[in-house]
Amino acid sequence: MPESQAGVLDATARRELAREISRLARASAQSVLRAAPIAPVPPARRIGFTGPPGVGKSTLVGKLVERRAAQGVSVGVLAIDPASPYSKGAILGDRIRMDQASGDPRVFMRSVSSRDSQDGMCNNVADILCAMEAHHFNEIVLETVGVGQAEHAVKALVDTVVLLMQPETGDAIQALKAGILEVADIIVVSKSDLHGAPKMREVLASTVRFGAQRAVGWTVPVLGVSVETGKGLDELEAALTAHAAWVAANRTGAETQARRACYRVQDLVLRRLDDQLAALSPADYERPVAELYQRVLEGLQQT
Amino acid sequence: MSLAGKRILIAKPGLDGHDVGAKIIALALRDAGAEVIYTGLRKSPQYIARVAVEEDVDAVGLSILSGSHVDLVRDTVRHLREAQGGNIKIFVGGTIPQEDVEPLMSSGAAGVFNASQRIEDVVAEVDRLLDDA
Repeated sequence: MPESQAGVLDATARRELAREISRLARASAQSVLRAAPIAPVPPARRIGFTGPPGVGKSTLVGKLVERRAAQGVSVGVLAIDPASPYSKGAILGDRIRMDQASGDPRVFMRSVSSRDSQDGMCNNVADILCAMEAHHFNEIVLETVGVGQAEHAVKALVDTVVLLMQPETGDAIQALKAGILEVADIIVVSKSDLHGAPKMREVLASTVRFGAQRAVGWTVPVLGVSVETGKGLDELEAALTAHAAWVAANRTGAETQARRACYRVQDLVLRRLDDQLAALSPADYERPVAELYQRVLEGLQQT
Repeated sequence: MSLAGKRILIAKPGLDGHDVGAKIIALALRDAGAEVIYTGLRKSPQYIARVAVEEDVDAVGLSILSGSHVDLVRDTVRHLREAQGGNIKIFVGGTIPQEDVEPLMSSGAAGVFNASQRIEDVVAEVDRLLDDA
């Protein structure tokens, strides 16, 4: 395990990174494009946690990060919470579950609001992760609310996706419907001390046995984890290590970079599109669709 | 709605165990458009200062019902400065006797609120304090 000072931030660096994240989270698509490209740094190991609200993502991330830090690993955490669709304000509550970890000098933890992002991420999330990487954390953890497209976005941005599921069987069918199981590299049935967890594990394990991941040669482990009792945490860490080794052997850096670049372009274009649509008035919508379509396309062309 | 885009940390320093007031203020600030981070109960001033800097907040609201508000505010101000967050404004709410308002303000608080104030007035005052920045 690394015992270096890499990613252990002093007060100045902490303040600097915090400000940089705020700046990026507020930056428009145009200002991101105008900014000088971020100098490439050796990538950190990135782990994403996703799953429905209340499944226990923050609690698990908090516990895991606490353990990693105790082993001498520096970790940067970015936790995304949804914004209120009414006031655009937000309660960013992930930290409250990450108590023990978030006082450790090896840990940097930041909550951001999803603002107007469509995919459950925050604006410029790819750039924010790069800004964190520039501070040389050993690991970066991205936590996001699993809604719709968030899983696909998280897949593009991290090396390992951990999907959390509740120990109730109804969820398994929901997961099949939404197709979110396909993006998971590791599946965790949270709160595994609760009734229903073994059954849920069984259902999920039999489902992923036929999943898309199998085709690429990785067997998705389905683990029961209880932060309450501590059971399953060792297994989760072992699975994370095993997947890191699998990624190192099976994915090239170029593939990873291409996937992230693709997400970045898509994110910027979609935000431009949102701006164009927001600029249309109710009167505009009385025009034929073909005409509006043309106008929006032309609007996208303008820089 | 001018709290839009502002980030505010609501924190409970010290040993009192009641946070209904803190949560109500958190929700009111959110409804006014702010992004609100809540620390949970019984946090040290040092921890609060670190979270405030990491979260790059514009203000910290300290909810204190234990009676040790003067010491806790002083400590929080000191730790904020050490963590290079000296520009972050502090406001205080809770059971604060009138005679303690002046000492709190001279210790570095930008505003002091008590339970007899209307929530809208508290939000408006926070808004005003952050607009000065």
